[in-house]
Amino acid sequence: MQRFAFLGRFARNRGALVGAVVILVVAFVAVTAPFFFPRDPLRIVGQPELWPGEDPDFLLGTDSLGRDILAMIVHGARATLLIGLFASAVATLIGVTIGAIAGYFGGWTDEIAMRSAELFQTIPNLIFVLTIVVILGSTLTNIVIAIGIVSWTPIARMTRAEFLSLRDREFVQACRSMGMGNAGIIVGEILPNALPPVIVLSSLVVAGAILFESAVSFLGLGDPNVASWGRLVGDGRQLIRSSWYICAIPGVAIMITVLCLNLIGDGLNDALNPKLRDR
Amino acid sequence: MTGAGSSRRMAALKLLRRRLIQAVPLMLGVVVINFVLIHLAPGSFLELMTAENQVSDPATIALLRKTYGLEDPTWLQLLKYIWALLHFDFGFSYRQNMPVIDAILLNLPATILLMVSSIALALAVGVAAGVVASMKVRTFWDTIVSVAAMFFFAAPSFWLGIMMIVLFAVKLGWLPVGGMATIGGTGGSIAGGAGGILDILHHLILPTLALGLFYAAIYTRVMRSSMLEVAQLDFVRTARAKGLSRNQVTVHHVLRNALLPVVTILGVQMGTVLAGSVVIESVFSWPGVGSLLFDSVSSRNYPVVLGIMVLGSLVVITANIAVDLVYMWLDPRIEIR
Amino acid sequence: MALALEVKGLSTTLFTRRGEMKAVDGLSLSVAAGETVALVGESGCGKSLSALSIMRLLPDPPARIVGGEVRLNGRDLMPMPEEALLDIRGKEIGMIFQDPMSSLNPVATVATQIVEVLRSHTDMGRAAARARALELLELVGMPDAPRRLDEYPHRLSGGMCQRVMIAMAIACNPSVLIADEPTTALDVTVQAQVLALLKKLQADSGMAMIFITHDLGVVAETADRVVVMYAGRKVEEAGVDALFETPLHPYTAGLIGATPIPGAERAARLADIPGMVPALNALPPGCAFADRCPKVMDRCRQEIPLLTQPALGRLVACFAAETA
Repeated sequence: MQRFAFLGRFARNRGALVGAVVILVVAFVAVTAPFFFPRDPLRIVGQPELWPGEDPDFLLGTDSLGRDILAMIVHGARATLLIGLFASAVATLIGVTIGAIAGYFGGWTDEIAMRSAELFQTIPNLIFVLTIVVILGSTLTNIVIAIGIVSWTPIARMTRAEFLSLRDREFVQACRSMGMGNAGIIVGEILPNALPPVIVLSSLVVAGAILFESAVSFLGLGDPNVASWGRLVGDGRQLIRSSWYICAIPGVAIMITVLCLNLIGDGLNDALNPKLRDR
Repeated sequence: MTGAGSSRRMAALKLLRRRLIQAVPLMLGVVVINFVLIHLAPGSFLELMTAENQVSDPATIALLRKTYGLEDPTWLQLLKYIWALLHFDFGFSYRQNMPVIDAILLNLPATILLMVSSIALALAVGVAAGVVASMKVRTFWDTIVSVAAMFFFAAPSFWLGIMMIVLFAVKLGWLPVGGMATIGGTGGSIAGGAGGILDILHHLILPTLALGLFYAAIYTRVMRSSMLEVAQLDFVRTARAKGLSRNQVTVHHVLRNALLPVVTILGVQMGTVLAGSVVIESVFSWPGVGSLLFDSVSSRNYPVVLGIMVLGSLVVITANIAVDLVYMWLDPRIEIR
Repeated sequence: MALALEVKGLSTTLFTRRGEMKAVDGLSLSVAAGETVALVGESGCGKSLSALSIMRLLPDPPARIVGGEVRLNGRDLMPMPEEALLDIRGKEIGMIFQDPMSSLNPVATVATQIVEVLRSHTDMGRAAARARALELLELVGMPDAPRRLDEYPHRLSGGMCQRVMIAMAIACNPSVLIADEPTTALDVTVQAQVLALLKKLQADSGMAMIFITHDLGVVAETADRVVVMYAGRKVEEAGVDALFETPLHPYTAGLIGATPIPGAERAARLADIPGMVPALNALPPGCAFADRCPKVMDRCRQEIPLLTQPALGRLVACFAAETA
């Protein structure tokens, strides 16, 4: 019942609904990419620099080498979405762990956790990601972990705040008096109550991670085996005088995806805090 | 005036002192992370470096060994590393053929110029748009502002930069494609006099827009909701009861209070602004730290990369302290323990 | 005595998602110069909205004035353009609020906030306004006034903040002062000081005062006349002595019964009025007080009782009072 009310509130937000639908479509396209475009998207299929609409076989045109842009976009969706999701998962895992421990135990544990959050906010994030990637190698795993490492601080702060407000509630004290261990209370009792706002934040981190990854790939430091959207923008950069659409199209794809993820995040936020909406 | 004024100045000094003390462990943390990264590098750091920089002269290798103290135990290496950094000794860059610190400092002003102009643009646009949207809440203008903010918040800055190059530089020819000065032009430096400064400003417009509009979008959203929130507070009703017009109330009472969350976010984002300029510099061939970083990353010139990270963090810490002082100036309720 | 403020049939409606609510329904009252009229009722009965309606300071949306007149020294404020009202608010009508700490701008000094009201209604220069601000602070009994001028509100106590609010409200010698629960948020001793201050200021300047409160103890001390409101309507009006001696409306009687009487020997347990003020969007067809009334009759549930005049200077809207 409560869940339906939540969904209802979410669906009443038109922007969030549109965002959710678009993301579902993008996800569907990403999953079914091998079905519609079964062959290697990076293979040369036609004349180079065909404008969108110029040849009905290549709806979005071809790039400087004669590769089908639509096929690359569709396959790129897989890479982009997966990296975004996994990086957000890494950030959430780190952030929730550190935030939960800091908020629950307080004292010097909290102090150390918050100081390290500050530390990671101080190091210019993209520079850090580039440094990690260049030192440890441009693999998908390294990129995902690096983005996760620079994105966890807001999640940790929010988790900490939730834990701080929940740790002294009656139900937690009841558990403690029944002899339940700290780990059990943290994971079993407080975490489920603290999670909803954290999930909202995680959805926004997905959007941020996609922007991060696209910047890394754009700079040519992405995984060379993966054609994410950012890399497509970077590849098209040399030809902006003659064929700017090669750059424009993947950028639009990034923008729409990030926009829709943000809309979903806003919608989730409003649905969680119905009070704020009535104003 | 005197009593309250001087006590606030004292408080500002106290804040400054506390922030400086806090900066020490923060910088230490940055250095340790740096050190860990070096040691995580697959293969010998020295081998990688010498191979990448085509150094084969045994004397140079010996010098490098000594510089990095690679035979020492790890803890001693760390101590030596910290000691070296305390003297701004980040090593030597063979690519630029100068000490790393010199190479970075040579490029830093251009980056700071870009950062400052982008933040200024973001604040001006964001605050103005947020105020307009909040005063015309739920009207056509509010919608326009919100939609625009949504788009600029989602557009990758590098892509926005390229699209602006296509439109304003390639198609319309109004603005230069990139660089910081016209090649073969009269100056392109402060030494070039007024013309040179104008030339730099001309080159600064597009990179500033590309980097700043993303933050402008954030500030617009924050400012709008903050204005609406503050407008509900009791003291705004008092101001209206005093007979002030809506505009007077907005400017003298709502605005300053509503700015506080914007300033908070500004402080948190200093690091990302610096990082964002790296990408924008690459798009516009802006001769700043970002270009140096990109070049060093491509050539695996680790000392420069690490040096940029340390100095970048230092810039962020400094900027954060400045933002804290601004916040304190805006909000007299901040008391120092 | 000349009427300083005369309110006739003032009606304010809240337009919300859950429907229209009549927050103030045909309120009439008048205050003469030098007189204090108390507006009394439980929270949620429309007292504060009435005050804001008089000033035309309602948050619109959702609240809008739908009818009535508010005459200040004979001029009706309701049809006036907003710019004309700016010259009345803060100059001819001053207002102070319930929570003085949050009613002052936290990022502006005391001097700035007082000077602002002076500068917007007079042609005083900056220095003159500052000097006048200091005078005003001394007038309202601010301890150590010269030093407080440059303080920020968070450094002041609640009582001191309320003194600043009063200083701002009387800065331009208004003919009417509206005080909306000015002592509710303050400590008991401070309450007494603020009440005494308001009385003294009124005696000196002869301004009319509308005093909004839910505390009948305060009413007994300050008011000349009392208007009792319930669910947006005036249900009784009387001189203060008459009201306390012979309350006619059962609601008034209930309020008096629920008030501790100072000096009385350990007052027997305060009689509470059972139940709560009905929600404005769910008012019964008859008398809004019927469900809580000890003297309820069948008629009360069908018709809304109108105001009648059982004696000179008294008004009451109650069928039970009429038949008694």
